[in-house]
Amino acid sequence: MDDGPRNLGKIMEHTSTFDINNALRFWLDGLAESPRFRPTDLVELESHVRDSVIQLETKGLSSEESFLIATRRVGTAEKLEPEFAKINRSPRLVLIHLAILAFLSTGCWLLWVLLWLPLVTVGDNPPGPLPGFTTFVMGCKWFLVLPPLLGLAYCVFVCWRKPAPRNSWVGFFALSVGVLMLQMFPVVIAIVLPIIDRLQKLAGHY
Amino acid sequence: MLNKELVAASTVPLVLSVLGEGENYGYALIQRVRELSGGKIEWTEGMLYPVLHWMEKEDLIEAEWREAETGRKRKYYRLRKEGRKALAQEKQQWMTVHETLGKLWNTPQLST
Repeated sequence: MDDGPRNLGKIMEHTSTFDINNALRFWLDGLAESPRFRPTDLVELESHVRDSVIQLETKGLSSEESFLIATRRVGTAEKLEPEFAKINRSPRLVLIHLAILAFLSTGCWLLWVLLWLPLVTVGDNPPGPLPGFTTFVMGCKWFLVLPPLLGLAYCVFVCWRKPAPRNSWVGFFALSVGVLMLQMFPVVIAIVLPIIDRLQKLAGHY
Repeated sequence: MLNKELVAASTVPLVLSVLGEGENYGYALIQRVRELSGGKIEWTEGMLYPVLHWMEKEDLIEAEWREAETGRKRKYYRLRKEGRKALAQEKQQWMTVHETLGKLWNTPQLST
């Protein structure tokens, strides 16, 4: 059975003569270890346990017995955590999403900058004709703005509306890496093509 | 005892219905459901609060912290307009299920 407060041993150890306030404090400290419970949640749960203890005591149970039954009925931290997580956004989770957004945006910005390279590698003044594919990719570079914007919209959704599950960032990270990889392939080819072109011209010249 | 899935599915309609009787706080709400179900509907009591907070976010109910007669702070919940609409819908849906099963099992129908 996984029932019973997380730090039951600690509670019993610290209470040779049972003190409901002490026991409640230890029980609440155990819950407070998780960032999923907001202080107001703990106040509400404490009030619930106190009500339950009073009710059980009227049935002839001791304070200690009442407390143990009341906390068991409320549920363990392990059971409650995932449910409260759906409601309470964790600041850590928001930070992780923002870090992934920064990573995605930096990646897209780097690709944008790299797309100037073909003009540099052509080297002529005015620059010589670029391969068709390179010109096409350079023309499409405005699409690089889209992923960070969509990522930002998703982060806003996560922050303000979605009751984010604990690992919701994993999918966002995987998608960001996937999008960056997909964008990187045409950009790399667009950069390499004029270099090959230039090398071929040089080889023909000599 | 009801199975877990049915208990989960009936939580929101039960909360809406109890709050339909008047404002209440978490512990009393659980007691009311226990009393009405003859102890057959048992919640993991702490699980009720995330549901109440979700319903609050969905504007179905509103809450207010007040001092109880014991001097402790207590959060009281009451139905909002959206909650009343949701309760009417839930009532209709559950009655449909009830009537259908009633016909299949030939048990007397409840009047709506």
